[in-house]
Amino acid sequence: MSTRLKLISTRPAPNAEPVGVLDVQGLSKIFRVNQSPFHALENISFQAQTGELICVLGPSGCGKTTLLKILSGFIPPSAGHITLNGLPVFRPGPDRCVVFQEDALFPWLTVAENISFGLKGRGLGRQFLRQETERFLSLVNLEAFGDYLPREISGGMKQRVALARVLILNPMVLLMDEPFAALDAQTREEMQTFLLSLWGKLSHTILFVTHDVTEAVTLADRILVMDKNPGRIRHDIPLTLKRPRMRESDAFHHQCKHLFALLRTEKAG
Amino acid sequence: MSDRPKPYQLLPWIIPAALMMAWWMAGRNGWIPEYLLPHPGDVGKSGYVYIFGPAGSGPYAGRFAADAAASLLRVVIGFSLAAAVGVPLGILSGRLDGMEKLLSLSVNGIRAVPGVCWLPLSLVWFGIGMKTTVFLVSLAAFFPIYLNAAAGARAVPPMLLQAGAMMGVGRIRGTFAILIPGAMNHLMTGLRLGLGISWAYLVLGELTGVPSGLGAVIMDARMSGQIDVIIVGIALIALFGQSSDYLLRCLLRMLFKSARRTP
Repeated sequence: MSTRLKLISTRPAPNAEPVGVLDVQGLSKIFRVNQSPFHALENISFQAQTGELICVLGPSGCGKTTLLKILSGFIPPSAGHITLNGLPVFRPGPDRCVVFQEDALFPWLTVAENISFGLKGRGLGRQFLRQETERFLSLVNLEAFGDYLPREISGGMKQRVALARVLILNPMVLLMDEPFAALDAQTREEMQTFLLSLWGKLSHTILFVTHDVTEAVTLADRILVMDKNPGRIRHDIPLTLKRPRMRESDAFHHQCKHLFALLRTEKAG
Repeated sequence: MSDRPKPYQLLPWIIPAALMMAWWMAGRNGWIPEYLLPHPGDVGKSGYVYIFGPAGSGPYAGRFAADAAASLLRVVIGFSLAAAVGVPLGILSGRLDGMEKLLSLSVNGIRAVPGVCWLPLSLVWFGIGMKTTVFLVSLAAFFPIYLNAAAGARAVPPMLLQAGAMMGVGRIRGTFAILIPGAMNHLMTGLRLGLGISWAYLVLGELTGVPSGLGAVIMDARMSGQIDVIIVGIALIALFGQSSDYLLRCLLRMLFKSARRTP
């Protein structure tokens, strides 16, 4: 199952020189608030490598969500440019799928219909559609809930549906906007573990926005620490902790403490 | 509701029952003269004769089917026209600022004119009968349909439209698969209000002297002083209005998942 998922990928063969699948250069966003300009984002540059899981960590109001909205193409940047596999990004598309923080499933569609939504209208066969839907339902462990409506399932299940409905489109980059922030602590941990196991199977490139240090340390290959007023990337920290990561281990605590300290100095400065 | 004690479920019927009782008493004891308000039993008899009696057994006997068919046809045509224009225009002006700017002044201007004012003009334009009635019905039904469709299209959560956009859904599919289902609650409200108003304006159009229709029967009975038939006509229109509302809801539920599954 997992091999086939990798095979249908549209990514080009890796070159000798690693080029980021997602390349962000000099991105700025200026909003006009009460007649005066507000720098939501200033000169954001980074590259994401294929299969990398990057967390964007920062206090609320630092422009994390704005960054994600620009990357997904919902709002245009004021300056700078983004390329995905060398192609410029300027509008929303299924190559950069988003998992939203809030519940963004279609309430009038069942779980299975929500998952197959993106594939419909592409001239695919009925049989194939059904098989794919089944496959992704079982990938997110919701085989038994295909006929349920979103309002009949729990918050954690809803976010698993939200994951399945974009993974079925095989995006090049998965953009996740604090997807587990609205869940209770226990479900959040379960979802983090679940995301990591999915990522282990499908190895998507993921950009995960969060304000939760523990979450970032649990998930990330690399953490971009953001600063606010203006929003910019202050630190780019590679995480070398071995996986699976134990939340109880000293190394984990050490890493978290280090990040907390960084965030505190940000606030002070 | 259903597990409430029995007296609670009887609550909605107290007022109708009391009114019926008062009417019965008034008729029996002669409190109100017969020519103003006939006895309910007489009204029942007239209703039976009008609906089921063979032609010739009473002044209006034998023409119920033709009257009902004529009225229904006028309502269906008028309402369908209003829906066919009101829903698309409403959705467009709910989503597109330009469309809203273009339409809102005119729509609100025309809406400010009471529907009755159009009667003389439409009599001149279309004459007495089918066309005038359909014109009045569709004009009156248009406004609630249009306004609710616009409000519904505006109220669709942007998150759902963004979700569609990032899954690569184009404009046309986005409209039919996200916008319309997302606005379904409002659309249903607008259509149901529109259908209710349709019956009101049907009677107005038929009061002008058309040969057939439930409104025509009411008007005709007034001239011949048959109060019982007027009351029968009113009751029938109430019944038709209620049933058509129920049928409309069933139809929408049958056609749209979003109508079935909206709580």
